[in-house]
Amino acid sequence: MVAANGTSMVEMRGIHRRFGETHALRGVDLTLRAGEIHALLGSNGAGKTTLVRILAGLDRPDEGTVSVGGSLVERFDPKRMRAMGVALVQQHFTLVPTLTASENLVLARPDGWRRGTGRSESSRLAQLIERTGLSVRDDVPAGRLSVGEQQRLELLRALDADARVLLLDEPTAVLTDQEAESLLSVCRTLAAEGRALAFISHRLAEVFDGSDRVTVLAEGREVVRDEPVSSHTRSSLASAMIGHESSGTFTDRGGREGNRVDGRLVLSGIAVGRLKSIDLSVAGGEIVGVAGVDGNGQSDLEAAVSARVAMKVGRVELDGLALIPGNPRRRRTRGLAYIPSDRYQFGLVGSMDLSDNLDLGRVPRWRRSRSKRRAGRVDELALWDVRTSGPGARASSLSGGNAQKLVLARELDGTPKAVLACYPTRGLDPGAADSVAARLVRCANEGAAVLWIGAELDELLAVADRIVVLAGGRLLGPFFPPYDRAAIGLAMAGESHEVNVR
Amino acid sequence: MSVVATEQPGTPPGGFLAGVGRRATSGGVASQIVVPVAAVVAALVVGGVLIALDGTNAFSAYREVLRAVFVGKRGLSDTATAATPLILVGLGYSIAYRARVFTIGGEGQYLIGAIAGTAWVTAGGIRTWPGFPLVLTGLIAAALAGAAWSGIAGWLEVRFGANVVISSLMLVYVAGSVLQWAVRTGIRDPASFVPNSRPLLAAQLPRLPGTSTHVGFAIAMVLVPIAAVFMARHRGGFRVVATGFNPNALDANEISKKKIVMLVMVIAGALAGLAGMVETAGSTGRLGAAASVGFGFEAIIVAMVGRLHPIGVAVAALGLAGLTIGFESTQRVLEVPSTLVGVITALIVVFVVIGDALANRGREGR
Repeated sequence: MVAANGTSMVEMRGIHRRFGETHALRGVDLTLRAGEIHALLGSNGAGKTTLVRILAGLDRPDEGTVSVGGSLVERFDPKRMRAMGVALVQQHFTLVPTLTASENLVLARPDGWRRGTGRSESSRLAQLIERTGLSVRDDVPAGRLSVGEQQRLELLRALDADARVLLLDEPTAVLTDQEAESLLSVCRTLAAEGRALAFISHRLAEVFDGSDRVTVLAEGREVVRDEPVSSHTRSSLASAMIGHESSGTFTDRGGREGNRVDGRLVLSGIAVGRLKSIDLSVAGGEIVGVAGVDGNGQSDLEAAVSARVAMKVGRVELDGLALIPGNPRRRRTRGLAYIPSDRYQFGLVGSMDLSDNLDLGRVPRWRRSRSKRRAGRVDELALWDVRTSGPGARASSLSGGNAQKLVLARELDGTPKAVLACYPTRGLDPGAADSVAARLVRCANEGAAVLWIGAELDELLAVADRIVVLAGGRLLGPFFPPYDRAAIGLAMAGESHEVNVR
Repeated sequence: MSVVATEQPGTPPGGFLAGVGRRATSGGVASQIVVPVAAVVAALVVGGVLIALDGTNAFSAYREVLRAVFVGKRGLSDTATAATPLILVGLGYSIAYRARVFTIGGEGQYLIGAIAGTAWVTAGGIRTWPGFPLVLTGLIAAALAGAAWSGIAGWLEVRFGANVVISSLMLVYVAGSVLQWAVRTGIRDPASFVPNSRPLLAAQLPRLPGTSTHVGFAIAMVLVPIAAVFMARHRGGFRVVATGFNPNALDANEISKKKIVMLVMVIAGALAGLAGMVETAGSTGRLGAAASVGFGFEAIIVAMVGRLHPIGVAVAALGLAGLTIGFESTQRVLEVPSTLVGVITALIVVFVVIGDALANRGREGR
């Protein structure tokens, strides 16, 4: 099935997909043509991943049609889609870390029921490497390969099945610039062989470097539909990604003025994980919003500021005293409240009851009886509006919004000096999100330095006194109100070069 | 593209123990009391069938067991004596397993405790001390040595990520070899022909008044409520339980999870070491080459059947000890093989595991 360049290989028409209340895709069309690289852009939750997952057979559309190579897809099943020549390289690696590269290939596509010799297995890999120019070592387990090599191995595995349509979900997110560059050049070669490629990215530079056509999704709709990249500029794509106006009402910062205490929460030269020397100072009474696309160092920033990990370089200071990992209770006694991005992993113990969860991080040496502990928490739960059957309920029984309020009740108790809020409104309905935002604004009004790592740009625009953008492990900006959405959008796509945040 | 699930880092080891921690600590009343009781009853029924197949009336066999324990002259005393090491080691396991730290090295810590305690109380210059300080320091030495031995496995886990299940078990074999060296060379009694330590003499545990049970049983019974209060009312117990459920949340808010792993390993080791010395100073009177009789492994079953609760551990240990003592008599009187106790114990484990699975399924089905 070698198609002439320009022939359409995939046609998706009017795709709808709902997940409960969320309408992830609202009538999306996508056409992939042989010989072309198609860039899929959009902010978090725009529906890009859902779209490629449908095409790979990992999900099914509620409405709409998909045809591959001219034949209509009737049943969505990964095996069938693979047989039709569609391969998806996912964001998370799906290699077996203890097997070598060639063994991973054989596992994905065995030669009959009998296992070949080690030599025949490696020669299969060697041939593939020779054909594609993607180099991968075969003498160590896949888990010990660099992320770039693992990514190439994922790609090799897809090509081993002779995929004609290659879908790459944020292939460059974990790669260094050089690795990303070489991956893109491989993609161009593969397209030149008559394959159709689609890749999801957040980096505008890659779109202009590598791809022929572009589709931009925003909240499940196409804002840019299958247009040639050459008809766009970076800023036109960036503003398409971000949208032009606020899509809702959010808690306002409410004209907070005066009594700033400079340099309450100071990050100096932090380098850990993807972060490359982060400097930032948050004043007491100020909310600094960290905008940016997930995976640009957000989780490293969270771990570093919350003193969960030790940093190679740099320090976090609160009122002039360094926060050092190893003693989580000290974080609290120093006055840093931490609202984790994954509240079920780092914030709560799901199997313990609410009173125990409120005790986490501040348990007295000797505890009262269980019934007294629970009775003592009734008022606190009511004050923070945690809707539950009582303090004896398990934390895992709470809805997302109530679970977050429980975390807030514990963390914001007793006027914290600084607050690290990581995606505090993620997964909450608008009402709950608004009340969480209001609590954080009140903290700032009471003098806390609030560092808010967020995904919802609109929310940050409404709440933050200053916005910085975390892209590629660096902080860009700062931006001050009234905010220039387009400039922030460009920075989120890694296009700004101001690195003068302080 | 094949989707292969890789194991999450920090996932506790599999096997039946993995289920023990989760189910025994999160279950309702059903799995707390009903399951172990039903498992014991079911095991006794199957055991009765086996006795009948052997040609003996099962009811008279069980009647003899009860008679030997409750009516026989030394039945209750012997049961208490036999239960003592099981209670001590089982308490340690029950705390460690609540944190989902699955050490199974109690036998090794028990031996090291016995060796260290014996070495201390038989050392020249010390063995002439009066009884009370000698006994007390001997027990402390044993607890410290057991804690250190267990701490090795804990440290290997915390520092290098070596699986506690494996390292603690391997250290049992090392401890076994240390014992053989100790009784042959290290602390050998020069006056003895067979490999033995010196007799403990003044370091022996006194009897409880009016019984033939040594004071080690009283020590164990005092430690049971202490452990229960620690788990229910002390900060440490809260941290242990939280580690078992979500070590990451504990790590981010309360205390480093590594410290809790070390804590429970040290507690378990100290209790097992204490058990080793209590048994040596209370029952055998000197340390011999055959000191390893498997209390460290039997206590795993005690902790499991006792639902990882200190009081449950005491009940399970006494029950198991009673069965053992009772069947010894049954063997003498009715010629029923006393090894049947092992079969019944194994059946209890099987039925507890099945019961937990059923209780779990019932919960999920709702």
